[in-house]
Amino acid sequence: MKLVKPFISLSITIALVYFLNNSWNFGSPIPPLGKFVDPFHGFWQNAETGTVSDQEVNLPGLKDKVTVVYDSALIPHLYASNNSDLYYAQGYVTAQHRLWQMEFQTHAAAGRISEIAGAAALDFDRNQRRLGMVLGAENSLKMIKADPEIEEAVKAYTAGINAYINQLNDEKLPIEYKLMGYRPEPWTDLKVGLFLMNMAKTLNSGENDIELTNALKTFGKETLDLLFPDREPVSDPIVDNEGGWKFKPVTLDSIPAIEPLEVVSIKPVEKQPKNIGSNNWAVSGKKTASGSPILCSDPHLGLTMPSIWYAIHLNGPGVNTMGASFPGSPCVIIGFNDSIAWGPTNAQRDLVDWYKITFKDNTKNEYLSDGQWKATKKIIEKFSIKGKPDFYDTIVLTHLGPVTYDESYHADKQNKHYAYRWIAHDGGNILRTFYEFNRGNNHSDYMKALDHYYFPAQNFAFASVAGDIAIRIQGKYPLRRKDEGKFVLDGSKTSSEWKAFIPFDQNVMIKNPERGFVSSANQYPVDGSYPYFVHSSQWEHYRNRRVNRVLSEMNNITPQQMMQLQNDNYNIQAEEYLPLLIDGVQSFNLKEDEKKAVDMMKTWNYTNDAEGTAPSYFEAWLEELQLSIWDEMVDSKVSLPKPSEYMTWWLLKNNPDLSFYDHQKTPEKENRNDIITMGLQRAIERVSKWEKDHGRKADWAYFKDSFVRHLLRLESFSVHAINGGNPNTLNASRGGWGPSWRMVVSLEKTGIKAWGVYPGGQSGNPGSPYYENFIAPWEKAQPLQLKFEGAPSALTSSALFTTTLTPASK
Amino acid sequence: MKFLIQIIATIIVCFLLQTFLPWWTLAIGALAVSFAVGNKSGASFAAGFVGVGILWFGMAYYIDQTTHSILTEKVNKLLPLNSLLITTLIGGLVGGFAALTGALLKQK
Repeated sequence: MKLVKPFISLSITIALVYFLNNSWNFGSPIPPLGKFVDPFHGFWQNAETGTVSDQEVNLPGLKDKVTVVYDSALIPHLYASNNSDLYYAQGYVTAQHRLWQMEFQTHAAAGRISEIAGAAALDFDRNQRRLGMVLGAENSLKMIKADPEIEEAVKAYTAGINAYINQLNDEKLPIEYKLMGYRPEPWTDLKVGLFLMNMAKTLNSGENDIELTNALKTFGKETLDLLFPDREPVSDPIVDNEGGWKFKPVTLDSIPAIEPLEVVSIKPVEKQPKNIGSNNWAVSGKKTASGSPILCSDPHLGLTMPSIWYAIHLNGPGVNTMGASFPGSPCVIIGFNDSIAWGPTNAQRDLVDWYKITFKDNTKNEYLSDGQWKATKKIIEKFSIKGKPDFYDTIVLTHLGPVTYDESYHADKQNKHYAYRWIAHDGGNILRTFYEFNRGNNHSDYMKALDHYYFPAQNFAFASVAGDIAIRIQGKYPLRRKDEGKFVLDGSKTSSEWKAFIPFDQNVMIKNPERGFVSSANQYPVDGSYPYFVHSSQWEHYRNRRVNRVLSEMNNITPQQMMQLQNDNYNIQAEEYLPLLIDGVQSFNLKEDEKKAVDMMKTWNYTNDAEGTAPSYFEAWLEELQLSIWDEMVDSKVSLPKPSEYMTWWLLKNNPDLSFYDHQKTPEKENRNDIITMGLQRAIERVSKWEKDHGRKADWAYFKDSFVRHLLRLESFSVHAINGGNPNTLNASRGGWGPSWRMVVSLEKTGIKAWGVYPGGQSGNPGSPYYENFIAPWEKAQPLQLKFEGAPSALTSSALFTTTLTPASK
Repeated sequence: MKFLIQIIATIIVCFLLQTFLPWWTLAIGALAVSFAVGNKSGASFAAGFVGVGILWFGMAYYIDQTTHSILTEKVNKLLPLNSLLITTLIGGLVGGFAALTGALLKQK
């Protein structure tokens, strides 16, 4: 009997330890608390002072010594004696700062977030797999394996990451693993392909095929062409080479235009917000103070902590390059070397189609194609879900692509099946392009490198020390007849399949144009004489005109002026919209505070600076106006597209009697000026409510809220930045999106000068002083000068510390 | 006196165990020390609680000070209580119950 008490006490101790050693979910997730707060191995160990002493690390698989010097911004400068070691070290060093992010983002690409986050992520995961993300990554890996140099780089990169994982102890495990109670798995070559699929998805999924199909069926062709013209009445294309396209274009047999069959009443998975994009430009030496070209690159992406970019300098035999890399892929992606600089923006082109599939019966073993029954292939996908039993999903593959939507996924009543055709399914060895950019010497090397670039299509700006500037809109584009790809296609007819691609030498490109600069900002790419049908439902309308307007007026340009231009908040949209709106307001209907707001907007200089409330009123007005005018689309039961803000302005201006101006929910019939006034009143209500809720004036920076959010959406690991801009200004910063890597490169013969900054910091560890130290210079558009030195000795005086990686003795 | 001895011994033994082994080995340490010292149940629980509590608080506080609370403030927002307090309580509770078990085993 004497054993009862100690037994009870022991049981309590064991139960306590068990509880504290595991993660739980009682409504909200609880980390393995004991492990997490243990000051010897838990989160406390992730707190860093930032000071590290020089050290030597022995690593298996390394061939020779690699010197890694960390400069004052914690940017690593890698000096290796062979390619394999260079990429091994890149993998090792990147993992050291970003391992959790690298794994999380590749898990996301592969549809494996439920493993970490539980059932809430299952819909997302199923979508990833049903879109063919893994399929594309596998096909890319096949192509990488057929290219010995790239295969070596990828394998070495993988080995470097795994070397880091293998020596990672409990103390230094990234805090996110500790919070969620799991450990990293080995890195694989496939994960490099998966990472690149993430980018492809972000940049290619702005299509609107299903929505446009429904619009055609709901409103008819005439209205559709009015609201969604192929070429909107605004034009400052990336390449204006009227009459200069002197090649013989490839053509397809003409077939009668096929109307889409019916309304598609599925609920498409939510897409990226519109207005994401990027700016880049290169000015020739004729226009600069130094006489040398300047290249500026500024991709606008989702702003996350840790950042999508990791700055790095790679130096080895035949290569000396610096810039932004992806944590998850070898090479420098946007950057420069001793001779050239390059930077992409998204080409926006429609590289996605939806095909309606007709199955023979419910077994889905066969489907119709030109009167024949073709066999499907089925893949059973297993989803491990944290805290729940596994989930299995059968994905049916057709030769057109995986069937994404069917009765088990986002279906709405009807038993319809839609397959997804995406250029990224075909795979591509795009690392070859960056590998060659990193080593390129001149324009011809740049052109050769781009011949390997398939997807996601980008506008690649280029400048060289030799004095050339160029832009090329590179990607693999399916050849399309007019209107093809705009709507959902009939998968039972092979005539609507992708039959041919535009030859790469017929892609849109230009070198050293007369005007002395090249630029792009996601706008329509080319003048009307280009002989191919070009379609997208998301062209940009404002930033492109702003950059061209400013650059054509500038001379004796300095890099500092270019940094200012990247941070430019002038809003052409406001310049066009506001006079029209103010003119339309029925002021006799306005209350005192509404009149005051209008008066304030009248004196506004159309600049979305951080301070000042006029931009907040204007932006709220514009949003309310869009919602009221296009309420037919917003409130529709089927998924419908909204016309662009630019087309809305054009219609308000040129089409005062459009039936869409009538607001459906009110008994009265509104006209154009009614809806403008109504929009204003709602906007002022909204801004006033915001001011009351937040207890401060609606200054633009606070009202729009540039939010750099941690990938796990943890508020305390996220940062709210205070800056100006909006998606239509060159400083395209709003909400969770914005300038993700601002780079300025002056290609001077006496040595390249370069600057760069991204919102975040080199370390992915929230406990590091280098976690968010780039946010302040990013807000102020004061990029850091990048220390591009050919030898480690030139850096050591200003370095934080040096790590020497040496081969582990066998 | 035995109370103080148990506290100090717990700190030393658990520190050594924790330096090399997972966090829960502190339970074994606190239990063994309590068994060896042989305090009464109540005093053993208190000494185990205070011993591990001091060890965990001290280590966490040292890290917090040397890193200028860089992570403490962020984690405070993630947890329902101040993270130094939670750390001390959790360490103390496990240490306390383990020590109680040790004392009761000795008394049987």
